[in-house]
Amino acid sequence: MNMLKRLIYILLIIPISCIDPYKIDIPQGTQLLTVDGFITTDPGPHLIRLTRSDTYGSVFEGLIRPVTRATVGIRDSEGNVTFLDELANDGVYATPAGFRARVGISYSLQINLQTGKSYTSLPERVESVPQIDSLSYKSIKFNTNDRLTDIIGVQVFAHFTDPSDQANFYYWRNGTSTFVLVANPELYTLPPNHPENPRGPAPKDCCAICFVDDESRIQRFTLASDENFNGLSQRLPVLFIEDNGLRFRQTYRAEIQQMAISSEAHRFLSLIEQQTNLTGSVFDNPPASIRGNIISLDDPDETVLGYFIAGSVDKKNVYIENNKLEFRQTPGIIPDDCLTVSGARLNPPADWNP
Amino acid sequence: MRKILQLIFFLFLVGISANAQQKNVVGRDIGQLKDLKIGGRIIDQITGEPLVGATITVRELTQTEITSTNGTFNLVLDRAEYTLEIRYVGYETVLYPFVAVGDGRISLTMIQEDFTLDDVVIYGRDPEKNIRSTDMGAISISMNTLRELPPFLGEVDIIRSIATLPGVSQVGEASSGLNVRGGGADQNLIMFAGAPIYNPSHLFGLFTAFNPDVVNDFTLYKAIIPTKYGGRGSSILDITPKSGSLTNWGGDLMVGTVSGKIGFNGPVIKDKVSAKVGVRGSYINWLLGSLNNADLRTSQANFNDVNGILYGEINDNHNVTYSFYRSYDDFALASDTTISWTNMSHTLSYQGRFSEKFSVNAIGFSTLYDFTIFNQSGINNFDLNSGIIDNGLRLNFTYALSERNRITFGGDTKNLTINPGELIPGVVNGESTILPQLVQSEYARESGLYLQHELELGEKFGFSYGMRYDMYQYYGPRTVREYAPNLPLNAGNVIGERTYGDGELIQSYDGWGPRASIRYSIDSRTSIKGGYNKMYQFIHLISNTATIAPTDIWKLSDRFLKPQIVDQYSLGIYKNFRGNIFETSVEVYYKDIQNVVEYKDGAKLLLQNNLETEIIPGEGRAYGVEVYAKKNLGRITGWASYTYSRTFRRVITPFEEEIINDGEWYPANFDKPHDLTLIGNYKMASNVSLSATFSYSTGRPVTFPEAKFDFAGNSLAFFRNRNLQRIPDFHRLDLSLNFQLKGKGKFYDGDWTFAVMNVYGRKNPFSIFFADQPGSPPQAYRLAILGVPLPTLSYSMKF
Repeated sequence: MNMLKRLIYILLIIPISCIDPYKIDIPQGTQLLTVDGFITTDPGPHLIRLTRSDTYGSVFEGLIRPVTRATVGIRDSEGNVTFLDELANDGVYATPAGFRARVGISYSLQINLQTGKSYTSLPERVESVPQIDSLSYKSIKFNTNDRLTDIIGVQVFAHFTDPSDQANFYYWRNGTSTFVLVANPELYTLPPNHPENPRGPAPKDCCAICFVDDESRIQRFTLASDENFNGLSQRLPVLFIEDNGLRFRQTYRAEIQQMAISSEAHRFLSLIEQQTNLTGSVFDNPPASIRGNIISLDDPDETVLGYFIAGSVDKKNVYIENNKLEFRQTPGIIPDDCLTVSGARLNPPADWNP
Repeated sequence: MRKILQLIFFLFLVGISANAQQKNVVGRDIGQLKDLKIGGRIIDQITGEPLVGATITVRELTQTEITSTNGTFNLVLDRAEYTLEIRYVGYETVLYPFVAVGDGRISLTMIQEDFTLDDVVIYGRDPEKNIRSTDMGAISISMNTLRELPPFLGEVDIIRSIATLPGVSQVGEASSGLNVRGGGADQNLIMFAGAPIYNPSHLFGLFTAFNPDVVNDFTLYKAIIPTKYGGRGSSILDITPKSGSLTNWGGDLMVGTVSGKIGFNGPVIKDKVSAKVGVRGSYINWLLGSLNNADLRTSQANFNDVNGILYGEINDNHNVTYSFYRSYDDFALASDTTISWTNMSHTLSYQGRFSEKFSVNAIGFSTLYDFTIFNQSGINNFDLNSGIIDNGLRLNFTYALSERNRITFGGDTKNLTINPGELIPGVVNGESTILPQLVQSEYARESGLYLQHELELGEKFGFSYGMRYDMYQYYGPRTVREYAPNLPLNAGNVIGERTYGDGELIQSYDGWGPRASIRYSIDSRTSIKGGYNKMYQFIHLISNTATIAPTDIWKLSDRFLKPQIVDQYSLGIYKNFRGNIFETSVEVYYKDIQNVVEYKDGAKLLLQNNLETEIIPGEGRAYGVEVYAKKNLGRITGWASYTYSRTFRRVITPFEEEIINDGEWYPANFDKPHDLTLIGNYKMASNVSLSATFSYSTGRPVTFPEAKFDFAGNSLAFFRNRNLQRIPDFHRLDLSLNFQLKGKGKFYDGDWTFAVMNVYGRKNPFSIFFADQPGSPPQAYRLAILGVPLPTLSYSMKF
């Protein structure tokens, strides 16, 4: 009977949907100026990144190239202009020391390219952000299309009280995250091409415990607007960290940045969120054109991508301890000195305080 | 009575065509004048079986003989010209004119009206209706025809079978919405026993929410829609339930791989009142519950539907029918969010014939549609409810001046209430973390008055013309925003609000909808028809998805959202061959659509009190050619339909930020130029049949990204113009093998159907989408709903 059920299950559930990468010919992409930049009430430096868009597709076609040697300035509603410096020749422009956005002031970004073209953003007003009262976390597990592997990870919740006297738009992202990297140097073996003792055990004395910053290519974020909860105290999931077998072997520290942004920036980011959540199903919205707040001063019809966001920020760290997690991924083993992992160091960050 | 009239009319027509034929000469002429002995035999043209009990009438002598056990008959006649009329239940009547000159034999064949012989005869299918009537683009299918199609997941499916007809398409494999001649999924009025049904799908469209066992037949009107129907732009699907037997009790049972059903019917009062009940349910929950995977075990996918039909005959001329229908679905993935929807309708109808000429049909209906999302995730728990209540009356009079001259008139009215959404916060840890929200309900009354005249002039011409007057009123209570003139409708341009009281008129629309068609018969087998049709639609499906999804919102026309108006021109040629064994037609159409709804980028539709800020009115146009050939009789039956059609949208507004695709025409989401369906049913033996469906269509439009850009650590796609590329073409073959196993009292007695969908396992993309996922570069992904061949087995029996 069980066999029959399995058969029916296989017949029914598996074919219901299948998602796989699909090769299509995407037309040659246009090279549109893209602005990616935040300024906040933090001391900074705040980075504005200028790039050119390219063909959508694999990493090999359509390399995003930086736009270098532009003049980039930020003008505030009191008439001050702050110029940004391109530190390396990489299209990343940084605010000078001491610059920070102030609540109640509007800022606009101004760009002059080497080609002589000029661009400006629409002004963005900095609104005050409610404080994060506390952060909590919970271990969660959910299944994927691949039934053999469940996704396990940690959901971080922000607790705060929404002010009732204004419309608030929230944006959460994580700052630098650091975790304790646990390695097993005692399991080290000689390389397979070792002349005398290939793959022979050669335990190392050091080092089992390192600290490493968690860097991932894709940065997830969370949005909310208070139209559903104006004036109420909130506990919202703001960050999900997937357990890759290494992150939660001991302590993981995540920095949560809670930002107040403008309603236009919220709309822009929700279009991005909508796009990053596409699954191809019948419930998907059709792709939306993500237009930002940058306009060309020379040609009003020129499309400029990206957004210049100015917001206020409140930050807090959460230390996630592995012994408080209900679900854990099978631990990943590093049979070597943990310092061999790129970016790993022995000393904790200065403010490490679990 | 009607049947007899039809028969006489049919005979009359046949008589005309027969008179033109050359007379047959029977017998060896040896100069004999009297007592010629003429023998004969009547056989079935397809099976070759002798027909026992057929009546042979010699018209000139009003002499009637009945065929004996081997289908033979004997006549004794004088030397003269005669016409034999041969009749047999379920067969087309044959006229045989001949000259008797001596002793001889006649061998005649007869053709069944339809290959299967039960219900068809009861409701009198007329084999030449497609040629003779002035109807255009009206297709009726009996459940017997439907049963010969390959089943989908073990069951024949009404919506899916309609999608095989020319001019009708579906967006993808798991979508219940139909697109008829370039119209949106909301432009079809689906009526069950006269009551409108708003979401006729189970499991997000994998199944149609109508149990085929309680359906007698259904008719789709897609071109010249009779004036008695209104309120939707593209088509009317009228599904008629089957009433129970007035003489004896019986039942049927079906067991399939995912669902089963059981039905009973019989007389409550013999020859007066009958009842029929049909229940269908899925057992997917039981399957999911038995799985080891915890998430799937806590998932559920449950659906059922119930039908009840009470039929009472007051006398031969008056009858009353009550029909109840309820369909229910709930679906939850990993248990924290449940989506559930219910359709429920009651219909009471009365049909009366007051004289040979005058008859009345009155229908009262009440429809309820409910949709709920329960979120029990532990984070901001909520219930989100929405619903529609639609109560109405219809009164239709038919006055037949003669069989070829008929007037229909009447009126209808209905009250609509839509609750677009109510968010009820749940309580977590003794407190609620979100605010309740209630979108204002909408109230409207939709009414129509109509008149239609059908007239035949001689054999060559037929006319049908009429007018429908639609009235629509949108009522309070409601608070309506006022926007600054000459500026886009958005929250920033609100200059005030006006509150309307209970029952206060906010906006009204009305319009005249002329409908006309003309038929010219070239001969009794060939005709040409042309027509024009205007339809108004006051309800819109606000859906920013490609197909009907349960999360879609129905919205009534208000001050900002004007009614959709559809003008359609059609022309067709129809020809039958070989005694109506083959039916063929070619139809062309052109359609103009005003006030279709398009969406602003990133439109927020759920819990939206001011939908006017999220949508943009557009215009549409559609045109196409439909070619259809059907073989009605024989061991092989089936049809081929090919449609070439295009459907476009255009959005031009005075405001640059609302213009889509630079104000140019662009393909609608469901524009699929080439659409081919081949359906065949082969009777291998009297109890074994094989059926196959092959369908091919151009891939539907999608939007490809124009560029890739990086923002805030995400690699993103930049889309500019909508719907300019296409997903790959769709094609699929389904096969089914049906056995009727006989064995009274044995477990295997009944119908066994083994079917394989998607025989060659094509991964037809439902969609192509673009995503940046960890572990791979940003790229295109394909979602295929049915990725492998899918076999199913079902068993059904009658008792």
